[in-house]
Amino acid sequence: MTSATVPAVSAGKPSIRPGRVVLYVVLTIGALLMITPFVWMVLTAFKSDLEIMKFSWLPGELRWRNFVEAMQTAPFLRYFRNSLIIAVGETAFTLAVCTTAGYALAKLPIRGSKALLSYFILLLLVPFQIILVPLFLIVKSIPLFGGNNILGQGGIGWLNSWWGLIIPLGAAPLFTFLARQFYVSIPSELAQAARVDGLGEFGIFWRIMTPLVKPALITICVFQIEAAWNGFLWPLMITTSDSMRPLQLGLAIFAQNPAEVQWPYLMAGTALATLPMIVMFVFAQKRFVEGMANVGIKG
Amino acid sequence: MSATLEHPTSRVTEPRKVAPAKDGRKLIRSQVRTGWLLLSPALLHSAIFIVVPVIAVLALSLTDYSFGDSWSWVGFGNYSELFRDVDFQASLVNTVLYAIVVIPLSMAISLAIAIGLNQKIRAIGFFRTAFYIPTVTATVAIATIWLWIYNPGSGLANGFLGLFGFAPNQWLAEPGTALPSLMVVGIWQGLGTKIIIYLAALQGVSRDLLESADLDGANRWQKFRNVTWPALGPVQFFVLITSIVGTFQVFDLVYVMTRGGPGTETRVLVLDIYQNAFQDLKLGYASAETVIMMILIALFIGVGRLLQKADVND
Repeated sequence: MTSATVPAVSAGKPSIRPGRVVLYVVLTIGALLMITPFVWMVLTAFKSDLEIMKFSWLPGELRWRNFVEAMQTAPFLRYFRNSLIIAVGETAFTLAVCTTAGYALAKLPIRGSKALLSYFILLLLVPFQIILVPLFLIVKSIPLFGGNNILGQGGIGWLNSWWGLIIPLGAAPLFTFLARQFYVSIPSELAQAARVDGLGEFGIFWRIMTPLVKPALITICVFQIEAAWNGFLWPLMITTSDSMRPLQLGLAIFAQNPAEVQWPYLMAGTALATLPMIVMFVFAQKRFVEGMANVGIKG
Repeated sequence: MSATLEHPTSRVTEPRKVAPAKDGRKLIRSQVRTGWLLLSPALLHSAIFIVVPVIAVLALSLTDYSFGDSWSWVGFGNYSELFRDVDFQASLVNTVLYAIVVIPLSMAISLAIAIGLNQKIRAIGFFRTAFYIPTVTATVAIATIWLWIYNPGSGLANGFLGLFGFAPNQWLAEPGTALPSLMVVGIWQGLGTKIIIYLAALQGVSRDLLESADLDGANRWQKFRNVTWPALGPVQFFVLITSIVGTFQVFDLVYVMTRGGPGTETRVLVLDIYQNAFQDLKLGYASAETVIMMILIALFIGVGRLLQKADVND
């Protein structure tokens, strides 16, 4: 910070500079602060009931059966399966709706496509919590579902159903916008060539252009899976039966029940809920980071 | 942003010129038809699940609707009732407090870390993963982990401070420490996204400008203040907006860790909205509360914009 610091361009850097050491120390402490809670979670998941009575780091023995017993105390496996259904369903729905819309906005001569793009960007700014209450009413009044008549009255509509869990939160405008940004970067000449060869407009979209944006599709998948897997408030509102609950909701209810808070079990359940996203992040790290950074810069 | 948006519209009109007039018109027509076909699911979905709800929340806020068949217009009755409601007042104060502590701190910390990570350092992948993992983890999972960390009996927080001889604290049960304890978790969890965005932006800062500043004998602080900081402008604003929207939405954390307690010490707006709407079934009332939250978010964004403008001009 002082003017005495050696400018970066000057040659002959000494091998160890105090600034560097401080930098590494600060970053390492920071990184440890980020990771420690997870280490603490995993260590707790292996402890016995006696060991968690007082503060200690390491468990005396690794009690693997905590994981088995946790799953017997709460139906974590069913919650896990439900989360998987929601994540896969939402991702498939998002891919279908958002790639088509993104392509149309990027490549097809629709009148007012610029205004439509602004429309989707504007919708990006609507926080989910704002529309919570009416969204619930709309989902409850979907016609001809859950005992509703054609006017959407009388039954529960999409409440407590996979439809209600998957459809309203899929196809967020963010993904339409992202898909469009990716299609824009593919040269239109490819579509022209296919047109000359007699391929229809939908064929051009599906067989020529979409295979070229595969990396983008993966980005959208990773983002959507993460969002769906981590969702909490919406399932909390619209599910009433335990059999539909996703993992996060099951976890929260497990944590809330004072009779059931057995910390090793709770931490085992939490580890189960956390692990898939961390594994996905480690594998898709580069894509995830690029995607996030791009959203920031273009948004 | 606008530069990338202008691009395609100029391109899509091109086929008109290349193809012969009659065929060309037919081709365009089929493209337009396909376009609307491909676009319609997204338009329909966004209309039903976003646009209609936004309009509905405004309308509902003027009624006393509560799931039953009968309801009536109450004008601004909900709003005037809200401002006499102590639970609402507490959640308003707590949410604003949470926002004005968490937003600047998390932005400053993540910018500092991003600058650190932007140096030529080893193990960049490790650091990036470490700072990002809390962000990809579900807030409910984060909340249960921290619930255990703040456990007064054998939690990590007291255990760690005990090593230095501090007395144990009832973190989440004590009125004085409950909200700050939540703020710590909020800041901790939100760093990752901001770091990544700042890091991407820092890599876009002009090398030429930094080098010429070097030649002019600028020190590090001068380079940061005059080159890096202005270059970060648009990204700062983006991070600010997403942080504002994010902190006003805080819910999962509070729901799992404190349920708004002790008393109303950690009651926040979304929790209050949730309870009014889905436990007390006062949907009209909860909608009015939502409208106030919307106005608050807009206000915060407006202030942020002004601050940014002032920063650019000075």
